[in-house]
Amino acid sequence: MVELERRGIPTVIFTATAFVHDARRSAQSFGLAGLPLAVVPTPLTNQRPEDIHRMAEAAFDEIVAGLTRPVEAFTGGDRPPIDERLVYEGADLLDAWDRMNRDFLARGWSDGFPLVAPTDRAVDAMLAGTARDRGEIIATLEPGFGIATVEKLAISAVMAGCGPEHLPLLIAAVRCLAEPRMYLRNKAMSTGPHAPLVLVNGPKGRLANLNSGMCALGPGGPSASNSVLGRAVRLTMMNVGHTYVGVSDMDTIGSPLKYSLCCAENEAASPWEPYHVTRGYAREASTVTVHFVYGICELHDFKSTTPEHLAEVFATAATNVAQVGTGLWLVGRRADPRYKTEEKEHNTLLICPEHAQIFAREGWGRARIQDALYKAARVPFRTLTLNKEPKAMAIAHPELGWLADHPDLPVPVVESPDCFDIAVVGGAAGRGAYFYGAGEPVTVPVED
Amino acid sequence: MTRLEIRNPVSQVVEHSVKPAPRLQRLDGATIGLYWNMKAGGDAALDRAEQLLHQRFPNTKFKRYTGSVGWVMRHCTAEDADRIASEVHAVVGTTND
Repeated sequence: MVELERRGIPTVIFTATAFVHDARRSAQSFGLAGLPLAVVPTPLTNQRPEDIHRMAEAAFDEIVAGLTRPVEAFTGGDRPPIDERLVYEGADLLDAWDRMNRDFLARGWSDGFPLVAPTDRAVDAMLAGTARDRGEIIATLEPGFGIATVEKLAISAVMAGCGPEHLPLLIAAVRCLAEPRMYLRNKAMSTGPHAPLVLVNGPKGRLANLNSGMCALGPGGPSASNSVLGRAVRLTMMNVGHTYVGVSDMDTIGSPLKYSLCCAENEAASPWEPYHVTRGYAREASTVTVHFVYGICELHDFKSTTPEHLAEVFATAATNVAQVGTGLWLVGRRADPRYKTEEKEHNTLLICPEHAQIFAREGWGRARIQDALYKAARVPFRTLTLNKEPKAMAIAHPELGWLADHPDLPVPVVESPDCFDIAVVGGAAGRGAYFYGAGEPVTVPVED
Repeated sequence: MTRLEIRNPVSQVVEHSVKPAPRLQRLDGATIGLYWNMKAGGDAALDRAEQLLHQRFPNTKFKRYTGSVGWVMRHCTAEDADRIASEVHAVVGTTND
């Protein structure tokens, strides 16, 4: 709508009451805070047509007003300047720190857990982890177009509990987030529980004590580095990217994965080349990959001893139609028109070493597993499209209209075999993890 | 009292500014674009908006649009926006929830 206003066309958009703040903030980020809204009491999704009609009738005066009454231009003057230093006083330092945490919660700057105080000394110590200047701009992060300086990232890292060894990894993760093909704006602001899965490859992950083995995605001492690095990514999305719950993060139900979701690949236990090599990097390189994911399903199998059987079990995880990405290719591709990017919906499999060995001893590599999953993970057309908009499919794939006459025909849940990304993670026993992904992963090298 | 001085974690932002379009003096006789981003239910809201606008402004004409790229949300490209801007005088949209 802002782009149409820029072209001289007055606009008004239907917006649900709960999303008014989000719409205003979003319009402000794009430069037109006063974009007219026709407010309806609930989202239009899942409503009966007659109820939508009543809501449209109630909002009709706002439609007329939005197209005919003058709109104030945004001058940028209503945003107060940021005070770069904050002071908290207390009976003692612990009391002052408690006040800091309560204030951060009230301002929306906290993930809910206590934060380490980003004092000058702590931030300076964190900056020792990189050769970059503290004022260097790494990226501009959506949805708020926040300027990600090295110093702001160091502050997020301190608050999350990171050490200096994690800062280059955080910088790499932020570069992933800022890649146009990541379409961060969509994933940050969505009503879906998009969580950035951070996968680290190479020696710098090992130097930073990233856990790739037992309980790599879980709590506890061995995964401390994973926990704080993943947390730093979330805090950066919030305070640098301005992704704030209820303001610019409209997640309906949320997900514990959004607090922190990070691990390294268990390259030592993998029978295959490291994941980052499949992404075009040298084996000795260090990389960070970020893939936004919605949810997780266990890949449990203590019984299978053949690749075929194991792939068949894994494929069942991919056929969950209540998961938004399943069969989403039928209605198009995630696309950011500003950068002309398009993404297929990928899913990430973290296969445990024991399962990987079952595949490898029969000569199966990633490509063969991907192919087997693509062939096995199919769902009858009628089931796959239960929650898809038929008009969207008609536009995206008019050539597939014939499928409507074959409702029982099994249809692939993803667009192509390469939509299954595979890394080896975990300790002993036959249990891995399947992540339902949102769009494609992005990998960048780690630089000091 | 003990003081704890810390660095502010919140980033500066890049400000954008777009001048709003001049509003229409009157809707009667105008051509109104109805933009649906394909999120479920938006088409029904636009259907009713069209009926109501037509009732109150009988000489109003309408054109339907959606974005040429996207998936559950279809987005306008710059080319789409250029085309829409060349064909209508105003737009009613469903782009948010």
